[in-house]
Amino acid sequence: MSKVKIFVIDNGGQWTHREWRVLKYLGVQTHIFPNTTPFEELVEKGADGLVLSGGAPRIGLSEQLGRCGEYLEKADFPILGICAGHQFIARFFGGKVEPAVVPEFGRIELIIDKEHEIFEGIPKRSTAWASHNDEVTIVPKDFDVLAHSEGCEVEAMAHRNKPIIGLQFHPEVEHTEFGTEIFKNFIKICEENR
Amino acid sequence: MFDPKEFVDDAIKKLREEIKGKALIACSGGVDSTVAAVLAYKAIGEKLYALHVNTGLLRKNESEQVRNLFQRLGIHLDYIDASERFFEKLKGIKDPEEKRKIIGELFIRIFEEFAEEKDIEYLIQGTIAPDWIESGDQLRDTIKTHHNVGGLPKDIKLKVVEPLRDLYKDEVRKVARFLDIPISEKQPFPGPGLAVRVIGEVTKEKIEIVREACAIVEEEIEKASKDGKMPLPWQYFAVLLPVRTVGVHGDKRAYGYTIAVRAIDSVDAMTGSFSRIPHDVLDKIATRISNEIGDKVTRVVYDITNKPPATIEWE
Repeated sequence: MSKVKIFVIDNGGQWTHREWRVLKYLGVQTHIFPNTTPFEELVEKGADGLVLSGGAPRIGLSEQLGRCGEYLEKADFPILGICAGHQFIARFFGGKVEPAVVPEFGRIELIIDKEHEIFEGIPKRSTAWASHNDEVTIVPKDFDVLAHSEGCEVEAMAHRNKPIIGLQFHPEVEHTEFGTEIFKNFIKICEENR
Repeated sequence: MFDPKEFVDDAIKKLREEIKGKALIACSGGVDSTVAAVLAYKAIGEKLYALHVNTGLLRKNESEQVRNLFQRLGIHLDYIDASERFFEKLKGIKDPEEKRKIIGELFIRIFEEFAEEKDIEYLIQGTIAPDWIESGDQLRDTIKTHHNVGGLPKDIKLKVVEPLRDLYKDEVRKVARFLDIPISEKQPFPGPGLAVRVIGEVTKEKIEIVREACAIVEEEIEKASKDGKMPLPWQYFAVLLPVRTVGVHGDKRAYGYTIAVRAIDSVDAMTGSFSRIPHDVLDKIATRISNEIGDKVTRVVYDITNKPPATIEWE
């Protein structure tokens, strides 16, 4: 079977290119596309999964993130939203994003609350790196919360019936202890979905 | 994983395709520009003009080391001392972004003058991923203007070629090792040099102070690491803060600047955690800075912020 293709949708984050690098290192065919790319083009190019990157400051709070809504509506392949991407997923499915009472910049302790394929093989408590001013305050109704931290109740969430996952922290940076494992799990989810 | 051989072959091929004439490369002596120079030399040979500009903002003995390095590499290196021009342009400038842009533009003007003289059309730069990511674009916020990206004037006459654009420092080091470049492990140093390690206005006096302080921090940390007291951090240096505090030096009141010691552990400069320097090493650094720099510095502090929320360099 050929390698899966997982594209990174660039919402303007500082670590978009890191997501591309991690995927590339894991042997996936990958490419960074601007968030204005039509959905049909991603399908034509053979997408088996998408990563919605973090974004420029505060866009997770209220902005449209290009065509990310279209991808969430039309895709039958897995989508992993990171930071602003995660916040947008929450808003798109009817949840709510608000400024965090205490924002998180840098080191956090990630505490996993619910088993899910994305966290397979990862200990209940680990170190992760985050960088956000806003956070998900109301989780959409078809989603389960998978993890939290001391300062943020929704560090991870997943749709109950679709392969759509959101992470508030950043699995793509070196300082996140099990970041590569999270990407490996996402790749597995994409492979199984083909 | 990353395969340096594959990268080198591909980069040389692309450079040959892209460069149709003479090209200039400015060499700071750091890993990125040195790797770019060696790749370009392999690609276009004598059509490459390597140039080292002394900005007056370099570390102790750095200009000399760069010239020695290129002699070892067998690549001819032209040298321009432009320190007076840089100090002149930076007079009265306090804002860090303005400083970075002024330095970026002056670099380009000097390159253009050199290029015109030699009829050079292309400018090769050792730009790597964090440089353009942090410089910002239509989508991304500007964290800081890296001189080789955001500092480029809009009316630049040279065609810019960036063979390392998609790499991070750890990958550039792998390429450097593959190419047997002796400075493959050298710690990163920002393009604007010591100008961004003097907070606020840059003066010759402050540059002298921070240059000495950086040399002491480097010496002591490298020694401690060699003695097995701590791993060598990703980057380690001193910053001069224009904040003056009171000291007592030999029963005499002193009123001098503050030096901040910064040491950070990272793999790719995109995230970092402050290094756990043992207290006796910090003690030695502080004592040496106070004794050797005299009453111009009355206090030494240690920066304990990670990236994010802070950046590695202070400006």
